[in-house]
Amino acid sequence: MERKEIFEKVVKILTPHVKNQAALATVTDSTHILDDLKVNSARLVDVVLAFEDEFDIEIPDEDVDSVNTVGDCVRLVAEKLG
Amino acid sequence: MAAEALSLRERARLLVQREVGRVLSPIWVPFVVALMRFGMGWRIEGLPEARRAYRKLWGGSRHGVIVCANHLTMVDSFMIAWALAPPWWYVLHYRSLQWNTPERENFARTLAMRAAIFVAKCIPVRRGGDRREVGKVLARITWLLSRGEAGLMFPEGGRSRSGRVDLMASTYGVGRIARAVPGLRVLCVYLRGEGQTTWSDFPARGERFRVRVEELEPKSDHGGLRGSLEVSRQILAKLGDMEREHFDARR
Repeated sequence: MERKEIFEKVVKILTPHVKNQAALATVTDSTHILDDLKVNSARLVDVVLAFEDEFDIEIPDEDVDSVNTVGDCVRLVAEKLG
Repeated sequence: MAAEALSLRERARLLVQREVGRVLSPIWVPFVVALMRFGMGWRIEGLPEARRAYRKLWGGSRHGVIVCANHLTMVDSFMIAWALAPPWWYVLHYRSLQWNTPERENFARTLAMRAAIFVAKCIPVRRGGDRREVGKVLARITWLLSRGEAGLMFPEGGRSRSGRVDLMASTYGVGRIARAVPGLRVLCVYLRGEGQTTWSDFPARGERFRVRVEELEPKSDHGGLRGSLEVSRQILAKLGDMEREHFDARR
């Protein structure tokens, strides 16, 4: 899967959890999920579970610790997809 | 995750922290309890049952215990420790005094506060902060519990903004720890004061609390994150049940 396609799907999954909708218009790899998009940290787990369902991958607990930005999500999914 | 993720330096630091707290425990543990009991005039109903259940958990087992509780004030962890055992018990069985993960913004602002929470078995965390930092804190707690220590966590991840156990607020950290430590016992604790209608910084002076405890064996057939979240949700559901019982008993 192309990186651009992963990025778009990641943003689509994040969108329902985003409190700062204005930040979505300028979202990039370096956009911070909690600080910029204002996603509730408790909901981050739901987001990662949605990645598992969407991309048919399994993400271990400890990999969630590396997720801070949208780019981190894309990298994580790309790694799991091989 | 687990113990392997911790460096030798981090393990040594935790052991030093534990020993400093243990050596000073004959002073600080009774002092804190006396402050709550006599300074604030707080009372807890249900102490004998809660303490009996907690003592039973420690009898003849070297496995760790994780206490999971509802969360309404900034001093819940101290109240829960007081509810589960008398000060002398903690001084004699120091591993049964729970490690805590207080919010850094509230409890680690000054050097004096950092020193106090260092002694009081606390590992501060910035909730909702950098995931790597949160992950490191979880790894530290996991390592301590795997050594047979006790820990206290709030599955909601913060004080209940609705004043009631929020089943939708389940964080996965508790489940992650519960699944990572073999033989770990889970004790659910529901503590609430008669005058507590919602969350606050501190309970009112003279508040009368009621404590309920129940052991739980959460299970999940799922692996990874999904399994951890399922375990967290089972713990939170149990706290929700205990809350219903609390209010039913007061009708």
